[in-house]
Amino acid sequence: MEAKRDVPEGLYYTREHEWARLGSGVVAVGITEYAAKTLNDVVYLSLPPLGQDVEQLGTFGTVESIKAVSELYAPVSGKVTKVNSDLSNHPELVNQSPYQDGWIIEITPSNLDQEKGKLLDSRQYADFLASLDH
Amino acid sequence: MPLWYTSTVEEHLAVRNKAGIFDVSHMGRVTLDGPDATKLVELLIPTSASSQAPGKSFYTLLLNQKGGIIDDLIVMRTEEGYVLVINAANKTKDLSHIQTNSEGYDVNIHDITDSTTMIAVQGPEATQALQPLTSIELSQIKRYTHVSAMVGASRATITRTGYTGEDGFEIILLDTGLQDVSVAMAVWTDLSTRARPSGLGARDSLRVEAGLPLYGSDIDDATNPFEAELSWVVTKGKTGYIGSDSLASFSSTPLSRARRGIVLEDKIPRHGFNVTGDRNEVIGTVTSGSFSPILKKGIALAYVEPAHAKIGQLVDVMVRDSAARGAITKPPFYDEKLFGWKRLKQQK
Repeated sequence: MEAKRDVPEGLYYTREHEWARLGSGVVAVGITEYAAKTLNDVVYLSLPPLGQDVEQLGTFGTVESIKAVSELYAPVSGKVTKVNSDLSNHPELVNQSPYQDGWIIEITPSNLDQEKGKLLDSRQYADFLASLDH
Repeated sequence: MPLWYTSTVEEHLAVRNKAGIFDVSHMGRVTLDGPDATKLVELLIPTSASSQAPGKSFYTLLLNQKGGIIDDLIVMRTEEGYVLVINAANKTKDLSHIQTNSEGYDVNIHDITDSTTMIAVQGPEATQALQPLTSIELSQIKRYTHVSAMVGASRATITRTGYTGEDGFEIILLDTGLQDVSVAMAVWTDLSTRARPSGLGARDSLRVEAGLPLYGSDIDDATNPFEAELSWVVTKGKTGYIGSDSLASFSSTPLSRARRGIVLEDKIPRHGFNVTGDRNEVIGTVTSGSFSPILKKGIALAYVEPAHAKIGQLVDVMVRDSAARGAITKPPFYDEKLFGWKRLKQQK
């Protein structure tokens, strides 16, 4: 079954299915529509405290469906400066709106210019997803 | 059966509030008949079979000599003999156990799994969902009984049992199996207009919420029925079945662990997580963990030391690197006045 995947342009992606939206001085992070669909209903997220340091592709939390637990990987290194508090009561936002209301954390990056190159752009990530189908 | 059709949570809630259907054709189905069928069944299970009238369906266990659980199953006593519904993963093991012990008995053993189809219709609206497909008056079938009837274009056995905690039916379609699924497909398609197709994810979260054990996770061949809280299947005074001597000795020795439920305040427990006491000492293990869509909390089935097994006792579950507070409960986890098959009785 070849599903049409929602991979917005302008975002950066990890092979672990996180997205990163570069803003002014901050990077918003969430999981992709593919990840949300694969998990099925997200019912719980375990998220870092504000101020925690994260490393690129290091874990910063977990996202859980009824039956599965998945690690969350930071797309960039830096400090966690915001956590989406709506998710504690409404984890389903991750499924309903993975790229907008279902954002998970915001990171103030410490090494963005160097690390950006290790992330995928939307076309590379779409190709990566296509390769998973085979 | 897929993990889910659309959403595990929605499928779960459909079964609790309305009706859902599950393709459970993978479950093993074995018939036993012939002059010695009852004698053989009496040897195999701790529940008295001869005291069950034809038409009864009952939950019981296959035990080994040590009193450990080989499988848990539903037995239906029919006019001709017995139908055993067993776990798919245990079918080969169960059949060989049954064959080995049938030596010298005049009995026919048939594996009818592949030539039949099995569908579970579960939920408070299960009767309304199934009724248009059969002329038999479903409301006349009592819980834990079964009837023979036509369902769609197939002869069928309809048993009022299930694995969700809800009222409902499990239907064995006798004329439509792997060789010809078209009649079964027609039944499924028609049912799906009134009941939500539901997958393995919901099947598991529903059974955990109802406190029902899963073979291989919560019970296995090293589990004795007393610690598993399943000793109610043992008919008092029955002797001479496989495992009966071991069970007699278990009943006079204190248990080393007891099966309980745990409701967590936060976080979701998973199979294999440790349960710890006040001094961080390990007092038990989670055998099934899930998120309860009804409680909106993490729930666990666990074995804990008897000293910590009191209802209401606070314990910790080690969720990866941190402790999550929880309370010992006796499942089902939901309020039985509001959910589960017993609520129907209370409405009448």
